[in-house]
Order: sequence, then C-alpha cells, then structure tokens
Amino acid sequence: MISLQNIEKVYRTTNIETLALNNINLDIAKGEFLSIMGPSGCGKSTLLNIMGLLDAPSKGQIKIADQTTGNLSDKQLAKFRNQKLGFIFQSYHLINDLQVLDNVELPLLYRDTTAKERRQLASEALEKVGLSNRMKHFPTQLSGGQRQRVAIARAIVGRPEIILADEPTGNLDSAMGNEIMDILINLNKNDGTTIIMVTHDEHMAQKTHRLVRLFDGSQVL
Amino acid sequence: MFKHLFKLIWNKKKQNSLLIVEILLSFMVLFAVFAFGINSYRNYVKPIGINYEHVWVINYNNSLKTQNSDSLTLFYEGLLRNIKAMPQVIDAGYSSSNVPFSTSHTNNTISANGKEVPSVNQFSGDINYINVLGAKMQAGRWYNKEDFASKQNITVINNALKEKIFGNTDAVGKYLNYGDDKTHSKTKIIGVLNDIKFNGDYQRAEVSMYNRLDTGAYHWLTSILVKVDPKADAAFESRLYKLMANALKNSNIELEHLPNKLVAYNKFTLVPLIVMSIVAAFLIINVALGIFGVLWYNINKRRGEIGLRRAIGASGNSVSSQLVAEALIVATFSLIIGAFFAVQFPLLNVFDLPASVYLLALALAILFIYILVLICSLYPGKQAAAIYPAVALHEE
Repeated sequence: MISLQNIEKVYRTTNIETLALNNINLDIAKGEFLSIMGPSGCGKSTLLNIMGLLDAPSKGQIKIADQTTGNLSDKQLAKFRNQKLGFIFQSYHLINDLQVLDNVELPLLYRDTTAKERRQLASEALEKVGLSNRMKHFPTQLSGGQRQRVAIARAIVGRPEIILADEPTGNLDSAMGNEIMDILINLNKNDGTTIIMVTHDEHMAQKTHRLVRLFDGSQVL
Repeated sequence: MFKHLFKLIWNKKKQNSLLIVEILLSFMVLFAVFAFGINSYRNYVKPIGINYEHVWVINYNNSLKTQNSDSLTLFYEGLLRNIKAMPQVIDAGYSSSNVPFSTSHTNNTISANGKEVPSVNQFSGDINYINVLGAKMQAGRWYNKEDFASKQNITVINNALKEKIFGNTDAVGKYLNYGDDKTHSKTKIIGVLNDIKFNGDYQRAEVSMYNRLDTGAYHWLTSILVKVDPKADAAFESRLYKLMANALKNSNIELEHLPNKLVAYNKFTLVPLIVMSIVAAFLIINVALGIFGVLWYNINKRRGEIGLRRAIGASGNSVSSQLVAEALIVATFSLIIGAFFAVQFPLLNVFDLPASVYLLALALAILFIYILVLICSLYPGKQAAAIYPAVALHEE
C-alpha cells in the first residue's frame, strides 16, 4: 500500500544541516496497522508527514497505492490526499467556529459532492464514532476524547484507504485513549483501512500489527 | 463551499463586526461622493443656457434723494441710454440682484394645473435681459415695451418649470398662481425660456420664473447687466465706472465680470465634493489597511486551520481563494446593510436628485468596495497559500 525507498530528509539553514531521516525503507501492506515509536525528535512526525504527502523527502521515492508521488503538482497532491488519506492529529485541529457536523464535512468540500451527500456521509461517520448526538455542538463544548472522535470521523468521512494518526491518544487520559484506540482498531479490522500511527505509548503500540522504531532518523526495528 | 464560508463568517460575526462597520461607513461616504460627483458631472455636461462671456454686472445702490417714480424712471432710463451709448457696450439691461452665479436667491411657491411647486426661483429683468445674457426662448416670447404699459399679470417661465407643471404640453397662454392662494388674480404665461444654470456649471437649472420690471422697480433695483465688446479693456471699465459714479453720487458702485463670478461659484460648489473626497480617501486607506491587517492577523491566527485544510485536500490556490472569498463575503454583509440605507435616498426622494444618479452611485460604490477588498486580500491570500502544511500543523 505504501512503499518508502531510501527516504532521506535534511533540514538546512544557513549554517546548520540536520539529518531528520536517514535511509528509511519501509513497505506497509494494505490493511496493516503499523505504529511508529521513538524518542522525541527522532523523526517520527517527519516520516508521517512524508507518508501523508505534507512534506517532501530530500531524497528517495514514495509510492502510495501504486502511485509514485514525486512528480505530482500541488493540486494533484491535494487531490491525492483528499481521496486516499485521512489525518488524525494529537491536538485534533478542529475549527472551533464550526459545528461538529460541519467540521466532519470539511474533506468533502474539496470533492465534487452535493450538500445532501456531505450531510449524509458526515452523519454516518459521526455515528461510527458514537457522536451522532453531538452534531450541532461546537468543539469547545466537547471533552478531549469527544474532540478526537470528531477528528476521527473527519478522517474517515471520505472513506480513505489510509489513515495517518500522529499521537492520537497523546492528549488523552488512558481510558479515553483506549476508547480512541478501540475505534481505530475497529476501523482497521472492519473496514480494512490501513493505519499508520505515531505514538509514545508502548501499550498502544502493542495493540497494532507491527511496530517500527526510529532513533536519530534511522530505522532501528 | 460558499455556504461553508458564509457559515464560518456568520459564526465569527463578532470578530468581523468592526471590519463590517468600517466597510459600511466607507461605502456610505463613497456612495455620497459618487452621487454628488455623478450629479455634478451630469449637470456639467448640460449647456449653461446663457452666453456669459463679456457680460459685466454693475452693482449699485439707489442714492437718489427723490422717491418720485416718474423722476426715478426718467433718471434710470437715461442712465441706461448713456451706458448703451458707450462705444464698447453691445447691450445693457436692468436685472434683479440675483444675477447669474450670485449667491442671492428669491423663491416663491407657485401652483398651476393642479400642482404646487415650492421654491421656484424668481428673477426680474427688463426687455433687454435675454439679449444681454444670450438666453433663448423655447416657446412664446419675451417681454416687449407694450407689456410694461399693460395691467395684465404676465410671466415667462423656464423649461424646467414648464416640464414640472405641464409636462410635454404647451404652457404658453396658460395660467399659474403664486402660492396656494387662489384668490389672487392669475398670471398668464407668455413664454418659455431655455434652462439657465444660475448656480454655476455643476448645479442643475432650477425651476424659475422671469418677471417683468415695471417702472416702480427702480426704487429697489441694484443691478445692471452689460454685454461688452470682447475688446473692452480696463480703460473702458474705468470709464464705465466713472459714468456710474458721476451719475450716482455717494453710491457704492461695484463692477463684476460674469466669467469670474462663474469660476468663484464653481469653486464654492466643488469645495464640499473635494472635502468629501478627502474624507472618503482617508476612509478607503483605513479600510484597505483594516482588511489587510485583519487578513494578515487571521492568517497567523489560523495557520493550524490552513495547515489542516491543506492536509485534507485544499491546494495552495484554494486556500488563497478561500481567504479572498471570506473578505468578499464580509464586504457583502456591509454592502447589504449599506445598500438598504442607500436605496432609501431614491425611494424618499432625498435632495430631489434623479433616481438614476443614486442607482449609478450605488453600483459604483459597490464595485469600488469589492475591487478594494479584492486587491487588499490578494497578497495575504498568497501568503496563506505559501504556508507549509507540515510546519503549520506541527505549530498547533
């Protein structure tokens, strides 16, 4: 599903050159639930951003769903992200001025869909995460766990093949974290969605199919 | 997407309220400036209605001790003959003090044909009046010598008054009354004069009546209009002054040129337009900076949202377009409120201007605001498009 070959990422300033990722080779199969672990600053989020086409590698090749992404334009990349990828972030990234339902609809606004279709799909996604009774609420009226569930609904509303989750339980207590983890496991199991999750939590990582460890930008496991 | 943006702005209406008020205020000032400007331009392109070149005005006060009408008539007719006899004088005639381009006005309400017209300008002139000014009769005739002996009440009206009362039908031979007093004897219209812009190039020809001067008028008359040869110079002006000064001892004699009076009057009319334009310019700069500042602030405050939108499928261009569209929607809120107030002007006929002036001013003000907002939002929009999603999402 995702193939990374010789990925290298270098951040350059006038005086300093920082190697964030060094020769990463990774193949992720369709339907796999993979977790990435490592100490802070080891390049986990950078790797996830590169897999999510939010950042470009300095060297190497990325293939997602049989599509080489290196030559895609900004517009093509945006369309690709919209159709193939779903994102979940540690800090949720919800728009506080929009109701829950409108937040979940967001990815569909960048597709050719009618308002009725968007409403229908967003309602279904919210139902899947158990928040159908909070559609008219604003994010500030929800708890952390509920906000993350809204973010999951937003990630799955477009039925992407891949979900990239950057520390989705990082801001939550263990009970809520487990709830979120259960939702992700169900999505993987029932819908066959490929999930790549960055986490600091060993316990959460153990629940996934495979664990990749990074250290100083290199893959150690 | 439009509905989405509308909802987003509506939910943030408190944050946007200051900008909405600012744009609304600018729109109203722009609307006033455009309405004033369009009206002035429309008046400017219309003919002034007289040939004011080489027309001088002699202002005097009646310093004669005699109050006998016959003696006054003999004196002033003789004075006019002496003026007309001067080699560089083409024609001359007595006029009421409200000569063209003066700030002196006399108004009266008249009624005719079942209609009442307030503020009809009242001018008075002798038989030479229209020749000196180069005005043209559109129908009927101007006064002649026989009229001054006649006891019948007669008048000449201008085309604007004729249109207002009688529309396209002929007015000559019809009657009108002063005020709403039907008991007074009626005044017969003997002629229709072309419209004259007495208040300068930028103001329209007002509804007007031209009354004949009878011999009793010499008691209060203070102005003589003189059409002179183009070669008339300062030496001639001095001779004319001396003639007046010798004839009217102890009188204050003043000589003015109509072209100079027109220039002065035009300046008087343009000053409010210039002042309003300066106020509008300041407001526009203020709005431009406001929009620019608010969008710039929004971009920095909404980096996370911009990063998210990029992640879920927005291209750089669509992020840029979104910010521009948001600014245009905020402007639309202001313009809807502004247009509501602006349309009251033609509906309530405020300032008695044609509805087309207000509608054109409304359209221009709307267009101007949209262009301004578009220009001011383009650069911040471009900056937003350049935000790197991975960085913006990480910052949150």
